Amino acid sequence: MNPDTPMNPEELRTLMVAAGLFVLGAIGFVTRRNLILLVLSAELMLHGVSLSLVTFGRMHQTAEGQAFTIFVLTVAACEAGLALSLVLSLYRQVHSLDVRLWTELREPDVQQPPADDSGSGISPDSAYTGIPKLTPAGIAPRSVPSETTSTKA
Amino acid sequence: MSLWIQQHPLTIIGLILWALGLTMLMPNRSGTSGRPSPIALGLTAIGLLSFLAGFGRTEAALVPELLFWIFSAGALAGGVLMITARNPVYGALWFALTTLCTCGLFLTQSAPFLAAATVIVYAGAVIVTFLFVIMLARQSGSAGYDQKSQNAVIACLCAFLLIGAITKTLQTKAVNISRPTLAAAETKAQTGGVTTSEQPRSNTLSLELSADAGQAPPEPDPVPNYLSKADATTPVGSLRGLGRSLFSDYLFAVELAGTLLLVASIGAIAIAPRREEGAL
Repeated sequence: MNPDTPMNPEELRTLMVAAGLFVLGAIGFVTRRNLILLVLSAELMLHGVSLSLVTFGRMHQTAEGQAFTIFVLTVAACEAGLALSLVLSLYRQVHSLDVRLWTELREPDVQQPPADDSGSGISPDSAYTGIPKLTPAGIAPRSVPSETTSTKA
Repeated sequence: MSLWIQQHPLTIIGLILWALGLTMLMPNRSGTSGRPSPIALGLTAIGLLSFLAGFGRTEAALVPELLFWIFSAGALAGGVLMITARNPVYGALWFALTTLCTCGLFLTQSAPFLAAATVIVYAGAVIVTFLFVIMLARQSGSAGYDQKSQNAVIACLCAFLLIGAITKTLQTKAVNISRPTLAAAETKAQTGGVTTSEQPRSNTLSLELSADAGQAPPEPDPVPNYLSKADATTPVGSLRGLGRSLFSDYLFAVELAGTLLLVASIGAIAIAPRREEGAL
C-alpha cells in the first residue's frame, strides 16, 4: 500500500487562486499611494498566504495548516490596528494620506520619485514638525556614578 | 428519466433558459426595433454556458466545481477592483467581498471554523475599522494621489512574472504527498472498521499514539513529517482536531499570540492621536 498520492487538480487550482491573491496584493502595495489602500493590500497578501496554508494542511491531512492560519489571523489583526493608528497619526501631521509625503523615511541612496502636481500642495519638509514621541520610561543608565566609584576604588 | 433529470439539474436549467432566450429573440413582434433585446441575449448566453458546463456531469460532481469557480472568481475580481479603486471606501468594500469569497474557499478546503473566524475578525472588526479611519481622514473631494498610481508598468510586469513562475513550478514540479490519514482509513476499512468515535480519548499525545499503535502499525513516511501525526479518527478541519493541535502542540505559540495582541493594543492606544493633541 503506497500512501503517496499526487497533488490533485483541486488543490493545485486553489493554490493558484492563492498565488493570484498574493500577487494582486503585492501590485496594490507597490503601485497605490493612499496609505489606507497600502494597508488593505497587505491584508490581501495575507489572505493569499492563509489560503495557501489551509490548502497545504488539507494536502497533508494535518491540523498544522489551519493552526498556522489562526496565527496569521492574529498577526493580521494586530497589524491592522497598529497600522490604522499610525495612519491616523500621520494624517494628523499633514492632513493628507499620500505616501509620497513621507519619502524622507527611505534609504538615502534610493532614487527620488518623479514629482507630479497631483498632490495636495504640501511640501515634504513641512511634514516633520510634530513627530509623535513616546513617553520616557524606566530608569536612566547610571554610567557616570559607576565611573566615579571605579576611580574612587 | 426522472432520475436523470434529478441528477443533471444544470443541463435542464440551461436548456430551459436557452429555449426562453431563443423564443424572445425570434422576430415575431411588430413594435420592437431591429436590435435584439439584451435580456434575451443574456438568457441565451447563460443557458448555453450552463448547458455546456453541465454536459456529462452529475449533480454531485457539479456542486463543488460551481462553488470553487464562484468563490475564486469573486475573490480575484474583488482583489482587482480593490487595488484599482479610485475611492478608498469602495476599495474597502471590495476587500470585504474578497474576504467573504476567501472564506468560501476555506469552506471548500474543509476549514469551516477558520471560515467563521475570518468572517468575524475581518468583516466584523478590520473592515469596520478601515471604514472608520477612511471616514475620519476624509478628503474634500477626490484626492489627487488616489487618481494616479506609481510604477504601475514595472510592478505589473514583475508581479505577473512571479505568478508565471509559481504556475510553472506548481504544474511541473507536482510532488507526491504522503497522506497518512487516507492510508489509515483504507486499512481500517479493509480490516473491518471499528468505529472509533465512541472510543475514550486521552489528552496526552504519547498515550494516544500507543493506543493507535495497537490497531494499525504506522508506516514510516517517505518524507518525515515533523509537525503532527495525522489522526484518522479526527477528520481534518474539525474543531476538535484544530483545538487539540493548538492547545497541545502550539500552546506556547498561543500564549505568545495573546501577548502580541495585548502589546499591539497598548501600542495602538499609545500611537493614536489624542483629542487634546488636536482634532483630525
